Amino acid sequence: MTEELVNMVKQMIVDSLRIDGMSADEIDSDAPLFGDGLGLDSIDALQLVVAMEKDFGVVVPDAAIGAKVFASVRAMASYIEENRKTVT
Amino acid sequence: MTIWIFPGQPLKCEATPVDEPDFLAISGLCRLHCGYDLIENQPIGPRSLSQHTCLQIYGVAMSLYRTRQLKKQSFTPDMIAEHSLGIYAALAACGSIGEADALELAGRIGVCMSEMQGQSFSLGCPIGLATGAVESAARNNSVFVANYNTSRHFLLAGNGSGIESALEECRVAGAFSVSSFPCEAPLHTPLMEDVSSQISEIISDYRFSEPKIPLIDHISQTRLTAENIPLFLVDELKLPVRWEETWKFLRRVGISHCCEVGSGQSLTKFNRWIDSETT
Repeated sequence: MTEELVNMVKQMIVDSLRIDGMSADEIDSDAPLFGDGLGLDSIDALQLVVAMEKDFGVVVPDAAIGAKVFASVRAMASYIEENRKTVT
Repeated sequence: MTIWIFPGQPLKCEATPVDEPDFLAISGLCRLHCGYDLIENQPIGPRSLSQHTCLQIYGVAMSLYRTRQLKKQSFTPDMIAEHSLGIYAALAACGSIGEADALELAGRIGVCMSEMQGQSFSLGCPIGLATGAVESAARNNSVFVANYNTSRHFLLAGNGSGIESALEECRVAGAFSVSSFPCEAPLHTPLMEDVSSQISEIISDYRFSEPKIPLIDHISQTRLTAENIPLFLVDELKLPVRWEETWKFLRRVGISHCCEVGSGQSLTKFNRWIDSETT
């Protein structure tokens, strides 16, 4: 997985969740996004699902898969990379 | 134009600013008027308040505290809106009732609702399905849509087993996530008719002044007045919260800046979703 993809995912998070006062490079690639990490919740999760589909053409079908995908920025980037490969 | 929006009951308590004079003042009002310890989030002495009632008072108290902070900074909104139990703090913020009355009213109505506990009620939260599918699941399982928060975020309320089967139907229909929570009363459903007369009686003990700041209701997006507030407080418990319509209305009338006054950021996140679909 490239750092470029990781950075694109961070930017997508900041843009789609409109996180004020935080830039993409302030997000820790390996920190949990939900709970203690960025403190995201189920409302944010659906917003990220829509953004991933729009920006990367990758579908997160349900919350069970979402729990793994949204474990961290790196996990999201990894899921995007894997599912892009499946498509191509 | 700026608006303050008052959220409903939080799911949990946040860390409280115990050194803040305004927080301590609100905490004192909670003790005196509700028999509730805001710092420990528990009833005081022998008084029996359920966990849900405590959370309801906590939600109002935190909104009142944040209102004081905003007013201290000389912020005044052009309008105020509310979601569900956010109405009590919203009434205080617009000058229709005092802080003590807002807390006491929320506490007394909370106690009244907790007496519906004989039955098993739950809330269900399906995320990701469209309105029609959620309404159909509710109808098929004899429960109700209690909150229309966005085009994809809803809250169901009703009998516990009905909620579980409705959520399963939502899951099969492709909901992104479903979750349920126990509750004491099926808020925002016709089932609240059972306690409607007791709640009317409680509300009749209070006097409401004309709001000094326009207060927009979450049912029909109209301005509440001193005259119609008492009836609204009874009816809103029996009717669903229409937050998506409320936020769209507020945008249409020119609201450009929004401040969520209370615990959490749920309404701000709902607004973000609604805006993302309309811009």
